[in-house]
Amino acid sequence: MINYHPDSRMLNEFSAGSLPLAQSACVSLHLNYCSTCQRESRKLQQMGGMLFERLAPCEVDASLLDSVMSRLDEPAPLTYEAKTTATDESPALMRRLMKGGYKDLEWDRINSGLQISRLHTGDVENEFALYHIKAGRTIPRHTHKGTELTLVLEGSFSDEEGIYQRGDFLMRDAEHEHTPTAAKSEDCICIGVLDAPIKFTGWNYRALNPFLSLQAH
Amino acid sequence: MPDEPPEDDSKMQGQIQVDENGSRNDEWSICLQQIGQTQCRASFERLFAHFAPLVKAFSMNGSAVSIANAEELVQEVMIKVWQKASAYNPQKAAASTWIYTIARNSRTDMFRRLRKFDTPLNAEDIWEEDTGDAPFIAVQERRNALQVKELLKTLPHEQAQILAKVYMEGKSHSEVAQELDIPLGTVKSRVRLAMQKLQIQVEK
Ligand SMILES: [Zn+2]
Repeated sequence: MINYHPDSRMLNEFSAGSLPLAQSACVSLHLNYCSTCQRESRKLQQMGGMLFERLAPCEVDASLLDSVMSRLDEPAPLTYEAKTTATDESPALMRRLMKGGYKDLEWDRINSGLQISRLHTGDVENEFALYHIKAGRTIPRHTHKGTELTLVLEGSFSDEEGIYQRGDFLMRDAEHEHTPTAAKSEDCICIGVLDAPIKFTGWNYRALNPFLSLQAH
Repeated sequence: MPDEPPEDDSKMQGQIQVDENGSRNDEWSICLQQIGQTQCRASFERLFAHFAPLVKAFSMNGSAVSIANAEELVQEVMIKVWQKASAYNPQKAAASTWIYTIARNSRTDMFRRLRKFDTPLNAEDIWEEDTGDAPFIAVQERRNALQVKELLKTLPHEQAQILAKVYMEGKSHSEVAQELDIPLGTVKSRVRLAMQKLQIQVEK
């Protein structure tokens, strides 16, 4: 049961294609788990189709049809079929970003309860990272700079406002202060997308207060 | 004819028609299906004449894309339409929606290419093909699609204008706010109002 969803702005920008890549990836992963948002985004897509139908047509050069007709026999690129080779149960998008399992990633150890692994999405303005919180451990009280999206992939965590399970999607802004704690029964892995990329300033600083470095100015 | 009661009241409204199997039977959905089933080039030419000018309008809408890029995009989109036509399922979407999503995906990928994004992802990874149960979706949502189309005509200008900027011009809510010189909150609330009017927002 999914209880936390992207808001209307996020879903609209996602459907229209204007949401930054890393955030889009996060919303797309939520849709993997959430049939409610899937349905809504299908409707938004239909609406997009209707707006598209109503555009004022823009004349195309006559040679364009010939050029397209002459290319119809070109073989379709393989990428169309490439994504049906799923072997494990994690979402296709995650497999594409991770190129392997959680174990194969490079993890930054923040403290004994928290590791972070940044994944390359190509989005230079938004950082897309995996957070691995050990069972029962808490991320120290902190505030974010900018907006942070969180999506739970494995296990669950809770904070002052609720309990978040696999597929739940959270958006928190800079004013928000919270202390996420992983459930006692199992480790929690979630995605965090930050629009103000994290910069670590050195091991000592990190060891002193890991989350000061997350909000470094 | 006049004595026969309509089998499906959805046939009575709007231009998108849906038969009892939940399949679209408007001109372009039939045409696209024919292309997929028989690789009929004549049907494709007809589809091209109708949709290529829309794809071009979409490509150039509100963006800095040059005419050369827009025409390249039209070619790319129309070739994909041809290549993927056999995967088109009229139970899931009208032809116009299906072609729009291809155009949106290609435009997004083109923007990223033009900005030299180095990314392992393409638009098709982000907007995965629907895996839902088609007949179920059709039955549940076809009425809604007809409704949205009708309701879209009744939206106040200020809401319709913002949806056009968001969907056709591909602008974020804050970009729209800047351009129209209104607060971001106003853009958000107009979109929310439009979603309510169109009955798109799902109770969560
Ligand atoms: Zn949802």
